[in-house]
Amino acid sequence: MQAVAHYTAYKPRPFTREERQHVTILFGGLTWKHERLIQATMHNLGYNAQPLPNIRRSDLDAGKELIDVGACCPTIFTTGNLVNFLKSEVARRGRDEVVNKYVFLTAGACGPCRFGQYHESYTMALDGLGLRDFRLFLLAQNQLDQGAAAGGGLEINLALSLGLVWAILCADVLTDMEYLTRPYEVVPGQTEEVLRESIEELYEVFRNRPIQGREGNKWKILGWHYLTDYFTDALERVRKKWEAIEVDRLRVKPKVKITGEFWLQTHEGEGNYNMKRWLEQEGAEVIPPPVAVWLDYLLHSPILKLEKRRRHERRARLKIAIIRALEHIFHRTYNRFRQALGGLPYELPDQEELKRLADPYYHYELRGGEGHMLVGKALYAYLHKKAHMICELSPYSCMPNTMSIGAMAQVQGKYPDMLYAPIEVKGDAEIHALSRCQMILTEAKKRAQQEFEQALAETGLTVEAIRAVEARHPELTRSTYRIPHYGYAGTAANYVVHIARKWRRALA
Amino acid sequence: MPIPISLTWFGKKRSAAPPPKDRSRLRVGIPKVLNIWSTHQFWVGFLTALGIAPENIIFSSDTSEEQYREFGKGRGTVDCCYPVKCISGHYGELLFGLKKKIDILLSPMIYSLPSFLRGHVLDTLTCTRVMAGPENIKAGFLKERDVFAENGVIYASPFVSLGEPAVVPDQLYEALKDILQLDYEETERAVEAGYRALEAFNQKMRQHSREVLTWCARNDRPCVFVLARPYHMDPGIGHEIEASIQAHGFPILWVQYFPLDDDLMDWLFGQEIRAGRIRSPFDISDVWPSSYSSNTNEILWGAKVAARCPWITCVIRFSSYECGMDQPTYTPTQKIVEATGTLFFKFGDLDATKPAGSIKIRVETIVHYVEKYSPEIIRRKRAWLPDPCPLLPSPEPVTQTLEPETDVARAF
Repeated sequence: MQAVAHYTAYKPRPFTREERQHVTILFGGLTWKHERLIQATMHNLGYNAQPLPNIRRSDLDAGKELIDVGACCPTIFTTGNLVNFLKSEVARRGRDEVVNKYVFLTAGACGPCRFGQYHESYTMALDGLGLRDFRLFLLAQNQLDQGAAAGGGLEINLALSLGLVWAILCADVLTDMEYLTRPYEVVPGQTEEVLRESIEELYEVFRNRPIQGREGNKWKILGWHYLTDYFTDALERVRKKWEAIEVDRLRVKPKVKITGEFWLQTHEGEGNYNMKRWLEQEGAEVIPPPVAVWLDYLLHSPILKLEKRRRHERRARLKIAIIRALEHIFHRTYNRFRQALGGLPYELPDQEELKRLADPYYHYELRGGEGHMLVGKALYAYLHKKAHMICELSPYSCMPNTMSIGAMAQVQGKYPDMLYAPIEVKGDAEIHALSRCQMILTEAKKRAQQEFEQALAETGLTVEAIRAVEARHPELTRSTYRIPHYGYAGTAANYVVHIARKWRRALA
Repeated sequence: MPIPISLTWFGKKRSAAPPPKDRSRLRVGIPKVLNIWSTHQFWVGFLTALGIAPENIIFSSDTSEEQYREFGKGRGTVDCCYPVKCISGHYGELLFGLKKKIDILLSPMIYSLPSFLRGHVLDTLTCTRVMAGPENIKAGFLKERDVFAENGVIYASPFVSLGEPAVVPDQLYEALKDILQLDYEETERAVEAGYRALEAFNQKMRQHSREVLTWCARNDRPCVFVLARPYHMDPGIGHEIEASIQAHGFPILWVQYFPLDDDLMDWLFGQEIRAGRIRSPFDISDVWPSSYSSNTNEILWGAKVAARCPWITCVIRFSSYECGMDQPTYTPTQKIVEATGTLFFKFGDLDATKPAGSIKIRVETIVHYVEKYSPEIIRRKRAWLPDPCPLLPSPEPVTQTLEPETDVARAF
């Protein structure tokens, strides 16, 4: 009998605890705001950590060269992103140093979509680069306490996971502030400046998170994150910076809700044709999708599943109770962060409502991508008049998204006046995608204008009268002044109603 | 005021079972698509156990361009892979193309599968497009008006986790109770009948495969192994490529029905299990750590089998255009198979257009290579495996006919 060498899959060599001092953990995939605060959390725990550069068009080419044909757009972009970084580092430092100096940490998934198989593309790219001994590790997105990765160099424990989640929530609420403010800023560029200052201040807050001595006690770590004012105090300090920004809310702008596949809708850059920035430049106000909605979905989905399996699953009731408690902690924390910023960032949509809205069109247990949320969020925005238009960003060759977008045909049949722009992002067909979006945006602009005129007519106000009120109450022109939702989608229309209701007597 | 206990004693007993519901005349149409190709026997067993006459369970035809053109055109809602897109044609055929109308169009959303790898892999989920396909296709028949209602057809699309038999009665009862007037107990019984029918069918198919493999082993002849998804058995999707190869005299085995007998599994994988490389013959963690998807897992497992089994000298891999589940597996599958010198041919991006000419040329190439290299591949792979081979007849026991005296003398 002879010996045979069978194929084996990639397995990273261990990343040891002793290596922590000298090895940098690479990560990426979110916005620069999220990544900066994630970096702070990792620095806080003594890791060297560095986000990959933001996605560029050239990453698409690099990814296409090295992985199997037919990959979905986020896989190609993110693989190419890692490839280009490693290539440049190899050129700068040499192969051996790169292999020993860096490890790459990426999100894993347990779903049926190929997101759970991204690492196959990464390893194929490493083969192509001749860097098979470069180490990459997976972080399961649904487990807060996974223990030490091979070698113990990276410990995915509660101190790290809660830090990451809190960092993401803070970045989310600040992203909302950014998109609520920038379209109306009177001094161009001021929002960007304040945003950078805010993130840097929060970087210090996360880096100096006082959790030393609590690493061993999970309840203490959870309790401290949940109960103390450490983060809300920091956000209140940040809020004061935003007060300096003057805004003009009488600029009539269509509100565009961004939905779609997770990576593509969250991304800000060339990976999605800079869609959010482009929409703003075209005169829109964008409602960005918070990562928190996705985390909320991940938390809530097991409840729905367990409720269906009460008779078959051991301790189903107890598990449901625990998840509900975690949900409560999550929502309360998010709302505290919102309140610290004056209640301006948007509330999270109720997961049960998203399920109920999507139910006739898309079954809530169909997993992958955004699942039923894509349909639910579009209907939520439309029926609650939260936006004039929904821009749905779907990656080329994304499997789950094509299904839910297909299901949207029935939604559009029932609500023909819903302005819905499904955009397929391939990375190399920008003009086509933008022109499609522009067609629907034109209609959204008309609706925003009609709404504004209707609000003026209903209230009997004029722009001049509002300007006069603003002159007497300069706090109205601060970016931190909150305008309630009065049933109009547009900011300007709601602003008119707000002025009318609050200053009716003075105006009379 | 009535005394409760007396009601219990003297009240009309409800012990008599309700009269059996006559469902024998109900006609149920099932689109023959996606994982129906590997689970059809479950649905037949389930429905017949509920009293639906077997002749009233109507599967749509094999996929064809004509079917889509005649019945599915204009119903598409989004561009996706052909195996999902073609479902519109199947729905349309069941709605408009039957002489005798159906009452119910049953198009299950199959979330997970009862794979033979279950328990050895992380999960046995179906592809996201496969599970959600019915929601997408349904939208094309509802976007303008309710075409199902117009045709007097009830659309039933139960969400069902066939990989978890314990929850299936709940799921099917919940989804179909009003449509089929079900009670829970009969649903449970029907689900059991469905699983029994599926298991019996799979066993029968595996037994056939074992016979084929045994024939190959005893005659030292090669066979060709198909690594594909179940729907590639559909001539309109797989283009009958394997049948073209079979016409040249090479038996064909499909990964879904490879024999799983203990003796064979131990022969192929026993050495690696004992060496601690894998935990069981069905463990694929050595080649595929993200083992969530059922069909993908089976394809990867099949590649391992093909790499080891001597008489499988050639693998043909089918993949449809834009298959996101197959895409990350292209290179690993090929590497697994080719690691032992087994021939590997891939037919990728199969789609609606039947590329007859190119298939013919490629089939001729494959046949040439199989004829030329099989003897050497069989010899080499056979040398890696222990004796005895369970597919070959046991050697005659050697009867010692030595001279007793000499023998005893030697022993001492």
